[in-house]
Amino acid sequence: MSRGILAVGAYTPENRVTAEAFEEAWGRFDAPGVETKAVPDADEDALTMGVQAARRALSAGDADGGAVDRLAVATTTPPLEEEDLTARVGSYLNVPADAVRRIYAGSTRAGADALLEAIDGDGTALVVVADCPEGEPDDSREHAAGAGAAAFLVGDDAPAVVTDRAAHADVRPGTRFRQHGSENVEGLDIGTYDRAAFTEPIEAAVGSLEDADAEAIALQAPNGKLPYRTSLDTEAIAAVETVSSLGDTAAASVPLSLAESFRAGHDRTLAVAWGSGAGVTAFVVEGTAPVEASLDGDQELDYPAYLRRRGDIVGEKPDGGAAHVPVPTWRRSLPQRHRHEAGLCPECAAVAFPPEGACPDCLSLVEFETVEPQLEGVVDAATTIGQGGAPPEFAEQQARQGAFGVAIVRFGIDDEDGEVSLPMQVAGGASVGDRIRAVPRRVYVEEGVPRYGLKAVTL
Amino acid sequence: MRDAYVVGAGQSKYGSFPDESYRSLFQTAVENTVDSVDHGIDTAEIDEAYVGTLGVGGRQLGLPGPAVTEHVGLHGVPVTRVENACAASGYAVRQAVMAVRSGMADVALAGGVEVMTDLSGDAVRYWLGVSGETEWERMSGTTFAGVYAQMASAHMREHGTTKEQLSHVAVKNHANGSKNPKAHLGFSCTLEDAVNAPDVAEPLNLYHCCPTTDGAATALIVSEDVVDEYTDDPVRVAGVGAASDRVGLFQRDTYNSVPASEKAAESAYEEADIGPDDLDFAEVHDCFAIAELMAYEDLGFCERGEAGPYVESGATRIDGELPVNTSGGLKSKGHPIGATGAGQVVEVFDQLTGRAGERQLDEPALGLAHNVGGSGGAAVVHVFEREDRASEEVDA
Repeated sequence: MSRGILAVGAYTPENRVTAEAFEEAWGRFDAPGVETKAVPDADEDALTMGVQAARRALSAGDADGGAVDRLAVATTTPPLEEEDLTARVGSYLNVPADAVRRIYAGSTRAGADALLEAIDGDGTALVVVADCPEGEPDDSREHAAGAGAAAFLVGDDAPAVVTDRAAHADVRPGTRFRQHGSENVEGLDIGTYDRAAFTEPIEAAVGSLEDADAEAIALQAPNGKLPYRTSLDTEAIAAVETVSSLGDTAAASVPLSLAESFRAGHDRTLAVAWGSGAGVTAFVVEGTAPVEASLDGDQELDYPAYLRRRGDIVGEKPDGGAAHVPVPTWRRSLPQRHRHEAGLCPECAAVAFPPEGACPDCLSLVEFETVEPQLEGVVDAATTIGQGGAPPEFAEQQARQGAFGVAIVRFGIDDEDGEVSLPMQVAGGASVGDRIRAVPRRVYVEEGVPRYGLKAVTL
Repeated sequence: MRDAYVVGAGQSKYGSFPDESYRSLFQTAVENTVDSVDHGIDTAEIDEAYVGTLGVGGRQLGLPGPAVTEHVGLHGVPVTRVENACAASGYAVRQAVMAVRSGMADVALAGGVEVMTDLSGDAVRYWLGVSGETEWERMSGTTFAGVYAQMASAHMREHGTTKEQLSHVAVKNHANGSKNPKAHLGFSCTLEDAVNAPDVAEPLNLYHCCPTTDGAATALIVSEDVVDEYTDDPVRVAGVGAASDRVGLFQRDTYNSVPASEKAAESAYEEADIGPDDLDFAEVHDCFAIAELMAYEDLGFCERGEAGPYVESGATRIDGELPVNTSGGLKSKGHPIGATGAGQVVEVFDQLTGRAGERQLDEPALGLAHNVGGSGGAAVVHVFEREDRASEEVDA
């Protein structure tokens, strides 16, 4: 019985900004080896990207959230500095409340550590790694900063197993850090010192492995140059690197390259995750696991649009009030917000959304049976809320993102005749008759609390 | 059950009035209402009052009723605030009719007031959204215009309605409003103007949307026992109908009609013992152009799906077979949310009593007022009748 990786999911945002766009804006681009990088949309963050990747991992493994015994979430950029992310991620995926949960943070090797510890555990584990680092606009780390997520379904009888592992730590302060209360990654940029802080711990860890030879090397990539300053095989690194197209995906860097290695069919992959400070986790994976991923992005942003997405050049939420849904009320509706759970009337089989109050068809006050609508549906009515026309609670999002669609979308329900219609925001807009997919997104932030739900993207 | 009659109705000018308050606007409406009573009335004779207001801006959300009735000297009169979004004062009129018919009151004042133009753009957008379904519909990011735009998209898809047909509503209502000295946007426009206006929420553009407005309107409803004291030409409340529906559009069975309007109209027609073909004119709720087109179908003015060609035919112009919104409607006359329903009654009263000035119809006998709350969560329909003219038509 070989415990290891059963399936992988990977996700990156659709938005891309090019190195040329930075060069035009700044006269230079300080992230060598990065040609484009992925940019989270205004309502995306580590949580929403992680859920997307996790959905894909479950799909690739033909599993559902109910089968998960252990849930791990790793990121250096949690939406809130303190709050258990696994509760919301688990809610989206319908992971049982009694599943073991762990958070990994504070280092770009957090994703690799989460994966190894899940493999060391038992039962079915889901490891979700997502990151979207940021820096000051003129900082080299910001120029490199990308976004992405990968998730691993871990269990017994796995097609991909870890056959060797090693770790190394050495005190190397100042190369990359984020101060308390800051959103920006910084560094002192001490040329040779910085390079050594990256390469020497990596070489030490890899040197501790019994056999580090591999067709592909999933190596931490703070930019597109540093990985090649190590003594590791440059062709094997280049074979599965993602930094040139996605940028620095921090904790998700090695997981995304591992996904790429599986997708490319490399039977033996060396994974080397580095975290500043510095520490390294290295391991060898033999075999490949099925991957469901889409790492392409076709929404190219110019530099001003990029700054808008980041929120650098937009105002704060306007005064004048905003729709208030108290947190306890919001919490009661999370099965609907996260999974669109609806109610099947036991008397007439009509479907109610939200599943409360009288049945919309027979008007009886009943205890609805829970049904989960499909995530793909059809638009029955739609419009576009143009720039500047959004309600106050969505004004900041619109300033960052632009016009968005709002629609009434009809979803079918597996194994039932019924359908359910929901109001949804559609990224970029939609027309009647379009098919859409419901995706996790941040709805808004009120009283400091991010509220998450499902929005839609057209298929 | 006693009959109820409208013996007076009046409104403030609709528009944007930085120097007015909700109380002063209400006062103007009451003064104009009192002045419209043929034989005069002492406000001390008012037994009961109903005031519709949403409270846009958060002004006097508690006890707005006494805040305005005490201001105009109706000291001690029982007053009830009625909140049904844009249908607030349509329902206030219905409450007054019920009070009179039941025998609880002989003279009841019904009306509404709203001040909307002294808020920032963001505050207005917030307040315009409070009548939508808050937990789901609003959280999708939609606006009030956005919900009606979704209805327009469904109507266009189902019935082939065009943007040009929507624009005919604006052209017609502005033509009427240009003859109404009380109108907020009392100018006329061309079809080209209306078709080419900037989008608000596609497919609805600026000319397909009513303005936000300051204003007040009131009406005096009296019983058959006292009506002769106030007028020799009474306007009878021939039929009243009202209905509600799910607040969120997504929760309804249809997105291209307003079932509550249809149901309310059926009740009003049945009580008045008439059909839509008997009407001489109507004031319908045209907060957005698609709302007027849906009203044509919901109220039975034309077949389902035929509203676009119907407006295009000119049937609802002031010289058409069934003039609609001779006042200019919400589009041109304006839409001070809490006052709108009562304001429609003012126009019906003026038309039935020959006070409509340049837009006066030729001795109409039966007029209808149709007032909708939100995107159709509430609707109320009244049929008003000049009994003398109606009986003449029957005799003829």
